[in-house]
Amino acid sequence: METLASLLHTSPATAWMAVKVLMAFGLIMGIAPPLTWAERRGSAMIQDRIGPNRAALFGKIRILGLVQALADGVKFFFKEDLVPPHANKRLFWLAPLLAFVPAMLGFAVIPMGRSFLSGGTEYHLSLLDPGNGMGMLFPMAVGAMAVYGILVAAWSSNNKWAILGGMRASAQMVSYEVGLSLAVIAIFMVTGGYDPHEIVKAQQGTFLGVLPNWYVFRQPFGFLVFFVCMFAEANRLPFDFAEGESEIVAGFHIEYGSMKFALIGLAEYGHILGASALITTMYLGGWGIPFVADHGQIPVIVTFLVFLTKVIALCLVFIWVRWTLPRFRYDQLMNLGWKKLLPISMANLLYFAYRMRG
Amino acid sequence: MFLTFAILALAGALALLLQKNAIEAGLCMALSFLGVSGLFVLLGNPVAAALQIIVYAGAILILVLFVIMLLNSHEEEPAEVSRPIQRWGSVALVAVLGLGAFRLLNGSPALAELAAKPVTGASTNLHSLGDMLFSQHLLGFEVAGFLLLAAMIGAVALVKKNL
Repeated sequence: METLASLLHTSPATAWMAVKVLMAFGLIMGIAPPLTWAERRGSAMIQDRIGPNRAALFGKIRILGLVQALADGVKFFFKEDLVPPHANKRLFWLAPLLAFVPAMLGFAVIPMGRSFLSGGTEYHLSLLDPGNGMGMLFPMAVGAMAVYGILVAAWSSNNKWAILGGMRASAQMVSYEVGLSLAVIAIFMVTGGYDPHEIVKAQQGTFLGVLPNWYVFRQPFGFLVFFVCMFAEANRLPFDFAEGESEIVAGFHIEYGSMKFALIGLAEYGHILGASALITTMYLGGWGIPFVADHGQIPVIVTFLVFLTKVIALCLVFIWVRWTLPRFRYDQLMNLGWKKLLPISMANLLYFAYRMRG
Repeated sequence: MFLTFAILALAGALALLLQKNAIEAGLCMALSFLGVSGLFVLLGNPVAAALQIIVYAGAILILVLFVIMLLNSHEEEPAEVSRPIQRWGSVALVAVLGLGAFRLLNGSPALAELAAKPVTGASTNLHSLGDMLFSQHLLGFEVAGFLLLAAMIGAVALVKKNL
C-alpha cells in the first residue's frame, strides 16, 4: 500500500480510498451490462427462445450475443434526446440522476472482503470504515431515497400511465420498508451491533454442526421477509408496479429515451446489485467462506471473490424470479406487505427479543 | 461543511415556501431534510441523520407527495380576496417565534457544553441512543408512542364506514 501511495504522491489513506471508489464503481458498472445480457438470454432460455444473438464485433465475433449490451450502449448515446413538450423540463432532467445516485451509493458501507493489515495500519474493503456510527442504517436511508427517482420521473413526464406507476411505486416502497426494518432489527439485536463488519463477523463458523453460521439459517423467517421486501424495494417482478408494462405500458419511464433511459435502466440493475450485496452481507455471511471460523490466513482476494460469487448468484436469482412469477395484483401486494410479511417480521423480532432476555 | 449543509437546509426551506407547485415544493422539502441530516452528522450524531432521511424524507414526505399526486391539484390557488393583514401578521409571528427560538437555544446548557467541548467523529450510536430513550426519556417515548397509536386508530375509525 505504501508503494502505491508513494507512486501516486499521496498518503496511503487517500490512495486506498481511491482504490475503493474505483472498485465499488467498477463493480457496479462492470456487472450491470453483463446482467442485461444475462437477463435477456436467461429470459429466452426460460421461455424456450434464443434471445439476442445477432450483434457481432466487426460483423464476425458473436460471443452468444454478449456484444448486444455494447451495441445498446452505442445506440443510447446516439439517439435523439427527446423531452416531451408537456413535461416539466427541469424535473424531467433531474429524475434519471435521482434514480441513479442512490443506486450507486448503497454500496458504500458493504464490506467487499476481509480487512487486512499493511504497514501497521488496518485497511477495510468498504468505502466507509467501521465505527462510522451509520452502519447498516446507511443503505436503508439511501434505499429510502431511491423512490424519489421513480416519483419525480413519473410526475415530471406528465403522462397518466407514468403517474399511475409512480403512485403505485411510492405506496409500495413505503409499505415494504416497515417489514424490512423489523427484520433488520432482529439481526442487529442478535449481532449486538449494526455495523456490516460486525454482522459479517458474527456469521463465521458453523451452526448446529452441519450448516454455515449464516443468519439465513438462524433467522429463516427474517430472511424470507427481507428477501421479499428486497424485491419490492428494487422494483422487480413480481413487484414491478412502477413499470407494469402489460398494464400501464412502461409506467414511470414511459416518456424516457436515449441516455436518460439508459441511466434509469442502469439504476435498476444497480438496485439489483445493491439488494444482492445487502442480502449477502446480512444473511449469507458477506465475504465469509462457509464453515471457516478464522479468516486470518485466507488471502484478501479470495474473500473478495467469495463475496462476488454470492452477489452474482443472487443477481441471477433476481432474474430467474422475474421470468418465473407473474405480477401481483395491487391489493394482493398490499395484503402481502401489511397482513403477512409485517406480522411474520414482528413475530420474528419478538421471538429473538424473548430469547435474549437476561 | 457546516456552511454547505446549513445553506442547503435553508435554501430548501425557502424554496419550499416560495414554490407555487406543490410537488416541486415537496422536493425542496426533501432537499432541506438532507441538509438537516448533514448537520446531524457534523454534530456527531449519524444515527439521527440516518433516521431523519429514513423517516422524514423516505416515508413521511413520500406519503405526502403520494396524496398530492392523488388529489391532482398541483398548482397553488390564488386567494379570492387579498388580505394584507394576514401577510403582516405572519411576518410579525415569524419574528416573535424566531426571536424566542434563538433566545431559547442560546440559553440552553447543551450549547455551552458544546462550546467547551466540540464533538469529534461519531459520538452517538444506536446503543447509546436506545439506552437514553429507555432510561432518561422513557415517559416521553411512551407518550409519543401512545399518541401515534391514538392517531392511527383515529384515522382508521374516520375512514372505515362499518368497523
